[in-house]
Amino acid sequence: MAARAELPRTPASLIVSRGRYSSWLTTSDHKRIGILYMATSLVFFIAGGILALLIRAQLATPNEHFVTRNGYNELFTMHGTTMIFLVIVPFWAGLGNYLVPLMIGARDMAFPRLNALSYWLFLFGGIILYSSWFAKGGAPSAGWTSYPPLSDVPYMPDHGIDLWILSLHVLTLASLAGAINFLVTIHRLRTPGMTWMRMPLFVWSMEVYAALLVAVLPMLSAGLTMLLLDRQVGTHFFLPAEGGNALLYQHVFWFFGHPEVYIMILPGFGVISEVIPVFSRKPIFGYTAIALSSVAIGFYSMLVWAHHMFTVGLQGYLQGFFMISSMIIAVPTGIKIFNWLATTWRGNIHFDTPMLFALGFIAVFVIGGLSGIFVAAYPFDWQAQDTYFVVAHIHYVLFGGSMFTVFAGLTYWWPKIFGRMLDERLGKISFWLIFIGMNVTFFPMHMLGLLGMPRRIYTYSNGGVWEWYNLTSTIGSGVMALGILLFFVNMLKTARSGARAVNDPWLGDTLEWYTTSPPPPHNFDSVPYVSSPRPLRDLRRRLAEARA
Amino acid sequence: MARFRRVLLCVALLALGVTTAAFAGNGGLAPPAPASPNADNIRDIYWLILAICVGIFVLVVGALVLFIIRYRSRGRPREAEGPQVHGATNLELAWTAAPVIILAVISAFVFWKVSDLGATSGLPASEANAAKQEVTIDGHQYYWEFVYPNGAISVDKLRLPFDKPVRLTIVSHDVAHSWWIPALGGKLDAIPGRRNHTSFRATKLGTFPGQCAELCGLLHAEMRAEAKVLPVDEYRAWVQHRASPAGRLELGKETFTGVCAKCHGLSGQGDVGPSIASNPLLGNGAGLATIIRNGTGKMPAVGQDWSQNQLNATIAYLRQHFHQGGSGGG
Repeated sequence: MAARAELPRTPASLIVSRGRYSSWLTTSDHKRIGILYMATSLVFFIAGGILALLIRAQLATPNEHFVTRNGYNELFTMHGTTMIFLVIVPFWAGLGNYLVPLMIGARDMAFPRLNALSYWLFLFGGIILYSSWFAKGGAPSAGWTSYPPLSDVPYMPDHGIDLWILSLHVLTLASLAGAINFLVTIHRLRTPGMTWMRMPLFVWSMEVYAALLVAVLPMLSAGLTMLLLDRQVGTHFFLPAEGGNALLYQHVFWFFGHPEVYIMILPGFGVISEVIPVFSRKPIFGYTAIALSSVAIGFYSMLVWAHHMFTVGLQGYLQGFFMISSMIIAVPTGIKIFNWLATTWRGNIHFDTPMLFALGFIAVFVIGGLSGIFVAAYPFDWQAQDTYFVVAHIHYVLFGGSMFTVFAGLTYWWPKIFGRMLDERLGKISFWLIFIGMNVTFFPMHMLGLLGMPRRIYTYSNGGVWEWYNLTSTIGSGVMALGILLFFVNMLKTARSGARAVNDPWLGDTLEWYTTSPPPPHNFDSVPYVSSPRPLRDLRRRLAEARA
Repeated sequence: MARFRRVLLCVALLALGVTTAAFAGNGGLAPPAPASPNADNIRDIYWLILAICVGIFVLVVGALVLFIIRYRSRGRPREAEGPQVHGATNLELAWTAAPVIILAVISAFVFWKVSDLGATSGLPASEANAAKQEVTIDGHQYYWEFVYPNGAISVDKLRLPFDKPVRLTIVSHDVAHSWWIPALGGKLDAIPGRRNHTSFRATKLGTFPGQCAELCGLLHAEMRAEAKVLPVDEYRAWVQHRASPAGRLELGKETFTGVCAKCHGLSGQGDVGPSIASNPLLGNGAGLATIIRNGTGKMPAVGQDWSQNQLNATIAYLRQHFHQGGSGGG
């Protein structure tokens, strides 16, 4: 607990290097690395989004031949891998990078050079994945989960899968180094007075995000390594014909894969816990409950992995166990939602764009959470597993959940990061297009799943309702894409020409609003002593009292 | 302006709801009409959870919309703070306990319904103890092969006796597949190296579609299946006929449609694989058998595990239909 503001030495980030471009290439400033992370992940977001639009174009009508069978399998494999490993996880690493030192009153991350290494590994991991389009046999096509034996050499001898494995190995190293950096930073560099229970809730969520990454990434590495050895060295961990066990991979993968879902959503919860109180002009309701529920979610997320495997023929008692553990997670998640609602109660609610995304998030995330109860009930999951019902569920959680909170976070901290205000009118239009488009795209997928449409099929021959739902979904994806396009236009337009932002345009609660917008390389000239979770509000009150 | 937007949203949502309801005969608002007690029980679970979830959704989103309308700023400046409420222990305990109770109810209901799954659910004890029809389902890239107790074989079309207990053994010898006929119940994976079992009873006559639900490669979408539920007499007659020499040509035809045609086209014109119509290899019975058994180039060893009978039946069908000069009589 020896968190002290005075660092013993000048952080590497304060050694300012010259050169408009070279300074970005050599930077170890957490803010610049954060911007690089977020910008790169948004570029990959566009790439993954284009892949998604191609998928929806192919599925718009029955017996469509817009893309080839193999092309379709490549599309959904790359779309899933991109959005999970190159967009959401690194975006949180970027936003966390930018905000965690500022929120805890530190000058930089604990290990600035390791931080730079994390970013560059992430970038190269992404480039490796996308280079697979040019590999022999094209991009990987076994889905983002790449189950063997399908992903093993006898069935996919080409190099797409090998590059997929290499890319994920590199990304795993990047995330692991980043996560350790977050943990050390949060544990060691908090400013005087900032006890655990005075930490911003976003920092709490980044703590659990990082701890989960450290806990489960080695499991992914192990699984990928076994798959690589199977493919390249002639081992047979997963080849039953040679005495291996195909199911082992699924256990290993999902032991990583389910916590990964919470890795993608917890920082988003953190963003919402920052945005809602500031725009409701109230303190967060139940700070302790929200902080501890993140820890509880993190813990239980490691006990639910086999709910992805209800159809593999597990023993009945195991299915019962994983149903109950999965349902338990709904409790801390519910606590958060009730607390956010209570925070708006009797508030003075301002509907700026960040708040719209935060409130929109609650509405759609509730749907994603509730459909999670359906699929946790394992007999029903025997029907829903591997159908569009599950596709709907994950997109309500990952788009309605994670991406809405990404947009909320971006619009909320944009003035701090760039010193410019976003265009509110464009922001609101893009919110409504994204909100409506998102529901039109993903809601009909529940029905498609119940009708019996499996995921990962490149076409279907049923007309009638199948076609109507698919067509509706494709139209929705176009509306959503338009909204996202406007969002990007807004960012590009205002980055240079937007209205100047003051230090604290939203009257925030946390330390990042104390410094200038954008902050200087050393972040703070001085940091006020922290005596509550809302140091900036305390400061404003003290100033008002002094004036009076 | 803010009010106008809300009205707009309500109209949009309502329109979506109405359109949805309009083309929803059984438009995907629930799993398909059940044709077995298993599927029936699963649907019950679905309805219970749906009812509870709709209730929760209305409550939560209702509160959200209410608070948004009631507590909007209405021109109040940002400096005007709401009441500085930090929490309320009893309220928080209540909204922790309530979900626990709801989830416990759902879990209890699920366990109760699960105990009633299986082939014999709802049958009197005398019938329940009768031997089940044992059918083995073997998932292949990209077809389903069914083996009946007397050795009869069918491809992609499963025949079932009406209202008789059936036990399926689901296996695969290549990649993972997933066996699923929505009307008959949940899916169960065919995973190489494992033997999965499921029991059920079909209680409706008719043909029920389904398809492979686990990504199994290039033609995953084409790996469709159907279950034909026949009256018991008809089922017995069919199984006997299929196992006899007289059923050989039908087996050959079914195998061609299920196995060969997915890559080579229904009239052998070629698609993923080359054209087989009037291919010279058809004249070479032994060469054809080798290719079907072992595969060649991109063609998988589709007939690796086939019985001699099935192989012969397929070759006979191929030659009869596609070999030059091999007209009707073969």
